[in-house]
Amino acid sequence: MKALATIIKPGLSTTLQDLGRPGKRHLGVALSGGADTLSLALANAALGNPANAVTLECTLSGPVLRFEHDAAFALAGADMNARINDAPAPSFQRIEARSGDILGLGKANAGARAYIAFAGGLVGDEFLDSRSTFLPAALGGLNGRVLRAGDALRHAGLATRPPRDIARSLQPVISQAFVLRATPGPEAPLFADAAERFFAAGWRVARRIDRMGAQLDGQRLEAAHQTSMASSPVFPGTVQCARDGAPFLLMADAQTVGGYSRIAQVIGADLYLTGQLRPGATLWFRKTTPADARDIARKKTLLFGDLAPSGLFY
Amino acid sequence: MSGAFSSEISTYGEHGWIARLTGARDIVAAALFVNTVADAVRGQTGIIDAVAGVDSLVIRFNPELLTPSIARAMLEQALAATPSNVCPARKQITIPVCYGGAHGPDLGAVSKKAGLTPEQVIKTHAEQPYRVLAVGFAPGFAYLGPLSPSLHVARRATPRPRVDAGSVGVAGAMTGVYPLASPGGWQIIGRTPTLLFNPSADDPFTFAPGDEVRFRAIGEAAFHALVENAL
Repeated sequence: MKALATIIKPGLSTTLQDLGRPGKRHLGVALSGGADTLSLALANAALGNPANAVTLECTLSGPVLRFEHDAAFALAGADMNARINDAPAPSFQRIEARSGDILGLGKANAGARAYIAFAGGLVGDEFLDSRSTFLPAALGGLNGRVLRAGDALRHAGLATRPPRDIARSLQPVISQAFVLRATPGPEAPLFADAAERFFAAGWRVARRIDRMGAQLDGQRLEAAHQTSMASSPVFPGTVQCARDGAPFLLMADAQTVGGYSRIAQVIGADLYLTGQLRPGATLWFRKTTPADARDIARKKTLLFGDLAPSGLFY
Repeated sequence: MSGAFSSEISTYGEHGWIARLTGARDIVAAALFVNTVADAVRGQTGIIDAVAGVDSLVIRFNPELLTPSIARAMLEQALAATPSNVCPARKQITIPVCYGGAHGPDLGAVSKKAGLTPEQVIKTHAEQPYRVLAVGFAPGFAYLGPLSPSLHVARRATPRPRVDAGSVGVAGAMTGVYPLASPGGWQIIGRTPTLLFNPSADDPFTFAPGDEVRFRAIGEAAFHALVENAL
């Protein structure tokens, strides 16, 4: 089968992602999927794709690819100065490409991840009902790895519905400063005063960040009484504190259990923002009650309606 | 009457509950209990995740289908209805291991800390059966226990950036095998040529909670023969 497009330059870390593998954590299988699920879903919505269609996830610097036949695509997420041939390619809208056209993405000015969706979706290796790439186990996507020059993107040929307008008010604004709302984690009481400092302080994303999680610099948070904790479930959005007191924010590829104290849990409605964190970004965790967080999830679900798949905000 | 284990339930995020066993002394009984409770809750209406650790479990629910209090009641009901006795294993698995040398770079350090010879460490590690207490960390990773108290050592102060697939490690009261090459902080005492996670197989996972696992010491030649075989 002829390729839909060919990768000319792969970008820093470009992978195939859909909405991941929810409900498989009891098997030790990470969620995976787009690190910024909302941008992924909006790129698909702009084309009328099923929400779970496979897209390209681009990290910090995007790929250059050549279309091998006529196709429509849409961009969302971090602005990487995308150009189709030499013309700017705006985000959140369907763009028609002709065979031979070159789509090139540069570096993200702010945020970390851009998504390129193609009308009808891309083909990827399936594992447990998802085609998302999970690099640590070389699963899904294209042979479980990041894309390389010369790779062929193949068209899944999914049925599409009419393209959707993404109102400007629904387009996520990505800056270098983030406020993530979070509820106190199961071990927060062990941290006593340090838990209050966690919510009061500004944090800086360290260089150690990937799809599994981000190390946070700022201060050390020692638990008031150290306990040796048996391995217990963790989720994307869980903030763990290692024994040296440095918080670590878990993301889409997070492991399923961990042995460190969980000081906070980012609310489901803000989780997609973690996919836009990059080294040097600043963030605050705003303390939120579970009841308020449920209310936010309900409102955000209504706001996006069928542009975002059910469950994206919880 | 809530089985033989008492537990504390608290929130885990806005759409989740965590149950932590309190005062459980038998690590095997506790681990099998929380895994059985998670199995019982998983699949019920509105339950997105039911994941067990070693002495705790977390459920996450769909707020369009369940209220927090109904989800909590489902958890409480499963905790109360699950027996606390240790059931016999449904599956026995034997894992061949080549101990020491390049395959087990921490065997010397573990021996020293344990005050045993490397041979005694190998014999102690391989002679007793273990149960799978939990799966997780990575696909195919199993937490096995109980480990003989004479082999209890702390994790490495600094995790290794890369541990080979098949590496057999010990940490605290547990032992386990790394299914994939990954960073890791456990003390590595050997390596198995057995493939523990195969995404293209009908059943990709070697271990399930409750399985019985034994290690069998093999030499370098057998290790390489088995690696050839696995390819």
